[in-house]
Amino acid sequence: MREAQGTRENKEPWENKRPRAEKGLDRGAAAPVTVSRPAARRWVRVALPVALLAALVGVAVAGLVAGRTVGVGGVVDVLRGGGDPLARHVVLQLRLPRTLVALTAGACLGLAGLVLQSALRNPLAGPEVTGVTPGAVLGAVAATGLGLAGWESPVAVVVAACAGGVTGAGLLWLLAGKDRGDPAQTAVHGVLVSAVLSGLTAMVLLVAPGELGSVVQWLVGSTEGRVWGHWELLWPWAAVWAVTACALAAPLTLLRCGDEQAAAAGLHTGRARLGALACAVALTAGAVSVVGALGFVGLLVPHLALALFGADLRRALPGAALLGALVVGGADAGAQWLSRVLADALEMDRLSIPAGALTTCVGAVLLLIVARRGTEES
Amino acid sequence: MRRITEPLGTRAVEAGNGVRGSGPDGPTADHAISGTTGDVPSEGTGAAGTIRAEGLRFGYPGREVLAGVDLSVDAGELVALVGLNGCGKSTLLRLCAGLLRPGEGRVLLDGDDLSRLSRRAAARRVAILHQAAPAVPGMSVRQLVRQGRYAVRGPLGMLRDGDDSVCARAMADVGVADWADRPVDALSGGERQRVRLAMALAQDTRLLLLDEPTTYLDLRHQLEVMGTVVRLREERGLTVVMVLHDLGHAARFADRIVALRRGRIAADGPPEAVVTPQLLAEVLGVAGRVGRDPEGGWPVCYPDHPLDVEPAIAE
Repeated sequence: MREAQGTRENKEPWENKRPRAEKGLDRGAAAPVTVSRPAARRWVRVALPVALLAALVGVAVAGLVAGRTVGVGGVVDVLRGGGDPLARHVVLQLRLPRTLVALTAGACLGLAGLVLQSALRNPLAGPEVTGVTPGAVLGAVAATGLGLAGWESPVAVVVAACAGGVTGAGLLWLLAGKDRGDPAQTAVHGVLVSAVLSGLTAMVLLVAPGELGSVVQWLVGSTEGRVWGHWELLWPWAAVWAVTACALAAPLTLLRCGDEQAAAAGLHTGRARLGALACAVALTAGAVSVVGALGFVGLLVPHLALALFGADLRRALPGAALLGALVVGGADAGAQWLSRVLADALEMDRLSIPAGALTTCVGAVLLLIVARRGTEES
Repeated sequence: MRRITEPLGTRAVEAGNGVRGSGPDGPTADHAISGTTGDVPSEGTGAAGTIRAEGLRFGYPGREVLAGVDLSVDAGELVALVGLNGCGKSTLLRLCAGLLRPGEGRVLLDGDDLSRLSRRAAARRVAILHQAAPAVPGMSVRQLVRQGRYAVRGPLGMLRDGDDSVCARAMADVGVADWADRPVDALSGGERQRVRLAMALAQDTRLLLLDEPTTYLDLRHQLEVMGTVVRLREERGLTVVMVLHDLGHAARFADRIVALRRGRIAADGPPEAVVTPQLLAEVLGVAGRVGRDPEGGWPVCYPDHPLDVEPAIAE
């Protein structure tokens, strides 16, 4: 029976998401597995969230001290209650909300991705490739560009982004038709839908070029210039839907087992899936309306979360939120440091790299590695 | 693995002997015996575990799958559904589990109309094991078996650990307790089938429906699964209805065989009465002979060749 393990390696690339350490235990001795693993697991269960939380704090600090105007010492002064008015303004009115917005938006995208992948049983699903993010961007851009909403009415932007997200997902639903169950087919149709929606967004930009400056940051995704207004808009929305997502952990875990098994166990699969999709769209729309389309976060963070926290979504969902926050917070800090270094090197006065550019580049590399590893192992 | 195989091999034969040797062939004799096993108390609901299907019709546009089926299963019975592919066996099983709604007719579980029960309430009465299930990346045996408790605990109840005695018993009963922390993906087909059986048992119902539980398994694992089902039926006092392709298994392990042809019941009775050359010809579309097992006495089929006319192809 044991030798069957070796032959069961012909999985799809995305199914190889068990942590490597655990795999090592698997392949090692068969007998001591039951003895050694629970002890190791218990240790990991505690250490992993603690380590990630520590990393989160580290990322937040890195984001706070990343700018040019105020150095590390200045930030410490301000946080102690001192510092000159300029430094206080920079740290308290610009950097702090920006960092908080980045972390929250990242958590939203990570959660949305895992909810979406579980509800659709599709490891290639992510808000970016199922039309949700492009739809939300189109909604936000259209509302802003056509003057229906603007920075003065941020709630309208969220509503427009939500409507756009639902439209994008609905479009994919219709297009995919009977191939909905097939991950690859859904991904192909998702790319199609995303391309169409991006094209529409470009058309809106051509029609209303006046708003170009404020609109362009939605396309790439940026945390630049996010202030307390954004934070106040984002956090209640994020909190409500994050709690909803975590409350859906049990039905979502069952949905991952396949519809037939889920229904046999007593889950009304249609209702559960609808609720989960609504939750994913809301989380994505909330994040997009504030920071724009940060590429690859919603697609890749869930894989990382499942690999680190296991298939039990009661742990993996909070884990995805944590990892999403970590990734976007890190991208925000990284983008600021990179901007600073590049500005110095190119002797430019001001240069700002959007965080979305960083997540997209790093995400593309990660995706390549995941795909390569998948093909090698199969 | 060995721990399971040995007792179940002997027990299966004993069970077979018990049923067969207890008197004249006939449904009444079988029912009397299975009735006594049905009295074994089980925790969970006080339900007895009976199914009454009345005038079931089901179909898709342009294709009728079930054309009026009446089926009555007593508490503690082990019923095998046989028939060709597409004759409506699996559909009948799904209707009895409440996963499909009949176009006409109704299904009563312990006298209660299934269509009035919510999905969760139905899952507390009847567990169904489907033929195949997709892989769930990274999920451990314990986690998967625990999913069977969903209907009992509800969405939020699943969020807390504890009360795993039912799952532990289910895993022990099918012999997978030792692998509780292993990923399901890493198991072989037969092992995974037993894990899924444990998931169904974790629902703690008196009614267990199995859709071709032995398909895709080698002979050894087929016998293992069948033996486990027979043993569980006795130990837990379950009512079991299973779709089987192997008439040999059906004749050996079931109290009663229900044969379906073109969405109707073509034969219904104890194996000795039902498994005949006529059944082979009319229901399964093969010419063959039927003998007796020299040790156990149950019918054994010797299929010769397919007949020219396939009986179960829908018009």
